Amino acid sequence: MAQNRRPQSVLDNMGEEIVRILAPVSLCMVLVVILVSILNGSSATSSVSSIATMAYSETSTDSSWDKFIGALLNSLAFVVAITVVTFVLVLLFYFRFTRFLKLYMGFSSFLVLGFLGSEIATFLIEHFSVPIDCITFSLVAFNFAVVGVLAVFMSKMAIVITQGYLVLIGVLVAYWFTMLPEWTTWVLLVALALYDLAAVLLPIGPLRLLVQLAISRDEEIPALVYEARPVNCDHLDPRDGVTRRRVWRERRIENSNHQTDSNLSDESNSTLNANDVLNSNLNVSNLDGTHDATNLVMENAVSNPSFNSNTSNGICSDRNLVSAEEGQVQETDSELSAPLIDHGRNVQLNRAEEAANLMLEGIGLASSGGIKLGLGDFIFYSVLVGRAAMYDFMTVYACYLAIVAGLGITLMLLALYQKALPALPVSITLGVLFYFLTRLLLEVFVVQCSLNFLMF
Amino acid sequence: MEASQSDNPNFNPNPTPIGNSLSSSVPLWPTIDGPLGLSEEDALSYARKFYKFGFALLPLLWAVNCFYFWPVLRHAHSFPRIRRYVVASAVGFSVFAALLCSWALTFAIGGERLFGPVWNELVMYNLADRLGLTGWS
Repeated sequence: MAQNRRPQSVLDNMGEEIVRILAPVSLCMVLVVILVSILNGSSATSSVSSIATMAYSETSTDSSWDKFIGALLNSLAFVVAITVVTFVLVLLFYFRFTRFLKLYMGFSSFLVLGFLGSEIATFLIEHFSVPIDCITFSLVAFNFAVVGVLAVFMSKMAIVITQGYLVLIGVLVAYWFTMLPEWTTWVLLVALALYDLAAVLLPIGPLRLLVQLAISRDEEIPALVYEARPVNCDHLDPRDGVTRRRVWRERRIENSNHQTDSNLSDESNSTLNANDVLNSNLNVSNLDGTHDATNLVMENAVSNPSFNSNTSNGICSDRNLVSAEEGQVQETDSELSAPLIDHGRNVQLNRAEEAANLMLEGIGLASSGGIKLGLGDFIFYSVLVGRAAMYDFMTVYACYLAIVAGLGITLMLLALYQKALPALPVSITLGVLFYFLTRLLLEVFVVQCSLNFLMF
Repeated sequence: MEASQSDNPNFNPNPTPIGNSLSSSVPLWPTIDGPLGLSEEDALSYARKFYKFGFALLPLLWAVNCFYFWPVLRHAHSFPRIRRYVVASAVGFSVFAALLCSWALTFAIGGERLFGPVWNELVMYNLADRLGLTGWS
């Protein structure tokens, strides 16, 4: 009796793939919540001045309506800045300044890891009174920043290290964003979700243009994108190992686009430009097998407008300019969303396994390639949860569940529509909704139950 | 009556020998990523570059070198050309880490009793206060 190995169905690996992208997102959120709860317990209100607060700085004495209008103006200014920066990125990419973009991305990563990381580490040192001296500290910070730049910049660094550094960049920038005033943060999140929706789905959207450019040229967009390890690499053979590696590497986006915006403030002593890579959700299935001559590449890119990142085949890049040290902080996030790209190539359906694999590839979950998610998605999910942590842990749990549900829905929509989809809107909508519902309704209920010893 | 296996063309009796501890076989891939990592030729240039750049006060790069080429380090007779650089990186990282830890511990444990007023000048939180790094300004 011959036994045939049954062809793998979609469900065999879908859980593993989703977990491999949910784990770093959750890790990023947990780290931001920890940072927020440690560092914000001491200082009550410390806010940064950046481009996101240039229209209006919130003070605690304003009325609610004033705060709301101020927050709207802030968000509008921010989204306009991001749009402009994204269009500049598209232009630069169109005129093939790829090397400049790569260098800029590396420079921004260095600034984020070096200066923003040192600043947050200094806060922690002060909080815990760690008796570390400045020589050791500067040496460690220098090492950390340089290795981080190499990890996100170089194509062939160890996967774990690259993924770890991307998560760390997300944590640092997200923590910085939680320092914005409260109303501004919430309105900004909603505005960015709407912007993401527009930039990816509208035909004139900058992210969509960028992705189409990248696809038409078959080039990579330099951007910071988190790529999960592909699931089925056990059966890889040394003979076709090189092929698969190359294929997987080609889809990796290592460069991040950074664009710096000129600092608006007059007296900016040190300008910290940090570009965060965009959120792109890229499912790349690349069947480059040895025995079958099919080369079907289906790329699903879900782009989140947050950062400028160039990823191969359409990825969103967000640029985040942060000037931290002295002077004002200016932030520009340009979000590129990478549309989902569907390359149809010649497919030879010879065997049943090929057909099954094609179907798997159709929803971006085939045997090769991993799910990609842009760094801007990481950052704004973490900002939402971090801001929820500033209220209470109950809202943290509710928002975390909402965001994870939103991400799952987005992945399913991705598999369904097979075109570029933004990853921010669903999660942010659910997150904001759950935050306000929990804060206004659930908390009262739970507190009263606990006070009266009513368990259920 | 019939054999119930080995008819499957996909049946692979010899999985990749990396995890095979019965024989001291040479690992197939020099990097920790396995088939997703580098080939041997690329690996040599990467190992050499990591080793050389580590001398620019970057012991973490040496540590990354050892971590990345862990299969080379672990199997004693594999990839001789790469192994030279990886072992040198490991030695360099250990020495540097020992020096740095001893200095940091001396500073932390000795404190003011050992160093005198200089300690207050060197410690990080005072320095940050003085330079105004602790506020977002």
